[in-house]
Order: sequence, then structure tokens, then C-alpha cells
Amino acid sequence: MLKPEVKKVLIVDDERDLVEPLRLRLQASGRYEVAVAYDGADGLERAGQFLPDVALIDLSMPGLDGWHLCRRLRKDSRTRRTKVIIMTAWLSPDLGKRALAEGVTQLLLKPFEEADLLHALEAEFAAVKVCAGGKAS
Amino acid sequence: MEQQRVRVLLIEDDPDYAMLMSTYINEACGDALKYLLETSSSLQSGLDLLSRQEYDIVLLDLMLPDSQGLDTLVKIRGKAPSLPVVVLTNLDNDKAGLEAITHGAQDFLSKSKLDAGRLRHSIGFALGRDRLFRQMEKLVDGSPDGMVIVDRSRMVRYANAAALGLFDRKWEQFVGHLFDYELTPDRSVELKLPEADGEERLAEMRVAEIEWKGYPAWVATVRDQSELKKLERVRAEVRERRHTDQLKDQLLSTVAHELRTPLSVVKAVVGILRDHLAGPMTEEQTRLVTTADRHISRLTRLLNNFLDLTRLESRRARVTRQPLDPLELIQEVTEGVRMANRGRPVAIDVDLPQTLPSVNVDADMIAQVLGNLLDNALRFARSSVSVRAVAGEDSVEISVVDDGPGIPAEKLADLFNKFVQLDRAKGGDGYKGTGLGLAISREIMTLNGGRIWAGNAPVRGACFRFTLPLTPKSADVPVEEDSHAQARS
Repeated sequence: MLKPEVKKVLIVDDERDLVEPLRLRLQASGRYEVAVAYDGADGLERAGQFLPDVALIDLSMPGLDGWHLCRRLRKDSRTRRTKVIIMTAWLSPDLGKRALAEGVTQLLLKPFEEADLLHALEAEFAAVKVCAGGKAS
Repeated sequence: MEQQRVRVLLIEDDPDYAMLMSTYINEACGDALKYLLETSSSLQSGLDLLSRQEYDIVLLDLMLPDSQGLDTLVKIRGKAPSLPVVVLTNLDNDKAGLEAITHGAQDFLSKSKLDAGRLRHSIGFALGRDRLFRQMEKLVDGSPDGMVIVDRSRMVRYANAAALGLFDRKWEQFVGHLFDYELTPDRSVELKLPEADGEERLAEMRVAEIEWKGYPAWVATVRDQSELKKLERVRAEVRERRHTDQLKDQLLSTVAHELRTPLSVVKAVVGILRDHLAGPMTEEQTRLVTTADRHISRLTRLLNNFLDLTRLESRRARVTRQPLDPLELIQEVTEGVRMANRGRPVAIDVDLPQTLPSVNVDADMIAQVLGNLLDNALRFARSSVSVRAVAGEDSVEISVVDDGPGIPAEKLADLFNKFVQLDRAKGGDGYKGTGLGLAISREIMTLNGGRIWAGNAPVRGACFRFTLPLTPKSADVPVEEDSHAQARS
């Protein structure tokens, strides 16, 4: 493909001040169309309309939290194929296990590098899944 | 068989009677037993003999010219409290004799019924009874627990050596005096004992009802609990401190986590500015924002290190040990560090053997340790850092040596302590460490079965070494599988 097609990314985080620069960053790459939501319920509704390829979801949010939103997206036929990347500031011991159980393969630990964010998104769109390893990206 | 000798002192003022007794006693001498008899005719001469010589038993007439009745017995017992006494009574009724027994006589004989057999029997009985009594006394006196006999008028009638020690009194200060503690039978109570060396002492007391010399009384056993109490106090203190420490750790961990969210906002925003995504900036502005960005990275590193250490210390970290080639690991890490330090005037000199045996460690963790040591070395080095590796009997030893100022000898011991940041001269580029790298490295080495230590190089500079345990020979080396299943961060 010469010209990568524009992918849709939905950012869901109750930390509005973080949502803004993330949106700018993704838009600046010229490869993503971005929508944002500021809590779980809002995110679920936006996802139903926007039909994102990837949802970038914060874990701890009031009301519908990240894991619950993730599950609701899976249940909805419109968003069943939406891939989820979880963002969190809390590295708990069972986080990795939980992510695998929810079908989430990528976690971003806040604060993260811009490069890590872009790599994570690219990995979701890679035609062939590369085993996430030190050298793979 | 050795002949047993019984030394008898007869105190009797009637010479005829004394003669008779002497005859009886001599009759009784046999092959196995021999009596040696001495006679005195008054209490005073008896007492004199007792202070000059040793006897095994006293035969005592209570009615002497210089003393009459029970008083005679009391005086003899006062002189020789441990000597068994058989009392000779003139009267036919047993009352005086029985009374003498309650006052410490072992037996009594009625003069009117006296014959050789009875006398012999009585001496034997008194000696036997005395032996038994003494044995019991030894048992009681040798007991490490204090024992006090208190009669119904709350008078102390007896106290063993341990009790005298616990209450810090002499026999005559204690026995015959009122017992000034509450006596509650069948229940264990706590007593405050007199202080010793200014320290409060506590004892446990149990009280039981007994009969003492024919009268109802109490026996109180008293056990010193001071040591036990002290131990309990120390234990409670340790528990409390540990709990406080845990709370503190939890608080610190929470704070560190909570800092991550605002930090992520600042980092993202500054990144936008730095990359001119929010519009162009002057050179001056760009320089300032870049400085901010660098310090955000430093803060992030600090937080991550702190949380790493907390996780490692709490043993919540997952350790995935697998066989790996140390050469590959060293080359990969040094290459990464070299890339990150391009343009700096310090050379990283890596000189490794052709091959090294496989080691069994968590690759990511060991990479972190080596990375830490290289970062440190680069910070302090003047012109070069050298990395070496050598195979030992059961491990591979890796060393990182710089040519910087070295480590003051008095700091070497504390180097790996998380509360200590070494105050060495900083490198020129303003890069500052978090002070936790070495503490993290030590925790990692412990989790991976290795060791880490530091010293100074012979010429100059610091020298850090760590060991990686070899892969056991018997274990099949697994085919490389998905070895990095952890999520990227």
C-alpha cells in the first residue's frame, strides 16, 4: 500500500487534560481520524456512532470503567471488531493476566512516550501480528 | 560393706536413765550399724556439744534442770535446725509427744515404755523421716518457682529460696510475717514484685489450698514473668513498627502511582509543544521546553525506579528465568547504552571471551542491572568504561569498571541500600540518577540467584561485579519460545 488508509481511533479517558494532547498527537501523524469521550458511558455511545478501529481506553474511570467498557464493546455487534488498547497509571500484579483474559494485548503505562503510543497503534494494524518482543515493532 | 555410724547425742539429766539408754544402744550395734553415743545432762551442755560436734540425731528429754517442756525442743531446734530430734516424754499420754512433733520433732518415746527394740526403731524411723523431709525440702527449695506457705491468719510459714529471691527478703524478714498480697485460689494473678536494679518485675502467682503441719493453709507458687513480659513487649513493638513500615510503603506507592496521571498529562503536553504540533516556537522557547521535557523524563525514571523497587521488595515481581547466552545479553545492552550516549567523550570498551556458558536468569531484569551499572559508570567515568565477563565454576561473573573518582571506602558497605545515594562528583551533563538503581539491582540479583558487589579498581575508578548462575547441565535447554510475553510499557 502506498498511501496508508486513515484509521479511526477513539480516545476514552476522564482526564480531559490528557485527551487533548493525545488527540493532537494522533491527528498530527496524519494517519488517524480521532474521536474522544470523557467517561465509559460516553465512550460506549461514541463508539456506536464512530465505529472506531481502535479504542484507546483508560482503565479507571467513574461509572463504567475500562474493563467494563471493553466488554460492552465486544458485546455490541457494531464494535465487536474494535481493538482495545488499555492505558493505566496503576501497574497491578494481575494486570497482564486480566488484559489477556479480556482479549487486550497491549497496555500503555502512564506516562508513556509518544513513540510507544504510535507503535502500539501500528502494531494493532499490522497485517501479520508480530510476537510482541523487544525487537519487534 | 562399709559400716554405717550413727552419732547420737542424748540429753538426759537422770543418770540411771542415761545408763539404761546407753545399754540399749550398745546392744543394738551390729555388723552393719554402729551407734556412737554421747550424753549431756543439761540443755546448756547439750547446746555446747552441738556447737562443737556433728551428730546425726538427738534424743532429748524435755524436762531438764535448766529448761522444761516444749521450750527445750525449740532451743535445740534453734541451735541445730536440720538435726532430727526424738523427744523422750515422762508422761503416759501422747499429748506432749504429738505437740513436739508439730514443733519439728521427728518422733517421741515414752520413757515408761522404753525398751531396746523401741529405741532402735524410733531412731531408725526418725532418721528415715528426716531424710524424706530433707529430700522434699531440697525439691521445694531447688525449684526455680517461688513457693510460699501462708496460714489462715495470712502469716507466712514457709518460703523456698526462689520465693525469698523473688520477694527480695531474707528468711527472717519474710517467714513469720504477714503476706501482703491477695490470695485468690484456683486463679492465676499477676503480681508486682519489688524492683530489682530499678527495673519493674512482674510475676504470675497461683494459689492452692493445702494442709500445713495439720492446719489448713495456702501454698502460693510464684513465677517470674519479667523476661517473658519484656520479650512480649519487644515483640509487640516490632509488630507495630513493621505495620507502620507497611503503611508507609503503601502510602509511598500510592503517591507514586497518583503522580503518574498528572505526569502523563505534562509529558504529553510538553511533547506537543516540543514537536511544534501546537504551532511554531522561537529557538529560546524550544530550548526551554526541551529542558522541561528532559526533567519530565527524569521524574518518570524516578517514579518507575521507585515502583520497580517496591514491587521487587514485596516479591510481587514476576521472575521468568530462562537459559540464555550472556554474550548476547551483554552485547545487546552495551549497544543500546552506546547509542543513547552518542556524542559523549566516554568510550565503552567491551572485551569478552569467544564463548560463555549459558546462564539461567530473567533476561529483562539482568538487562536492567547491566544498564544501571553502565549508566552509573558513564556518569562517573573520565574517559572510559570497560565491560568484562569471565566464566566461573557455577556462574558467569560480569564486571563494569570506570576510571572515575572511585567509591570512598566508608561508603562501600551502604552502596546498595535504598536510603543512601552516593554523593560522588556528578558527571558534567547534568544527568542525575534516581539513587535507586543499585538497590533495584541488588533485589534483582537476589531474585535471580546471583550476587552483586562493588569495590575500587586497582588504579582508579569504581568496579562493580555481579554473578549470573549457570544453567543446570541436566536441564534440557528449551527451544526458544515466546520469551517476552510481558506487555510493553
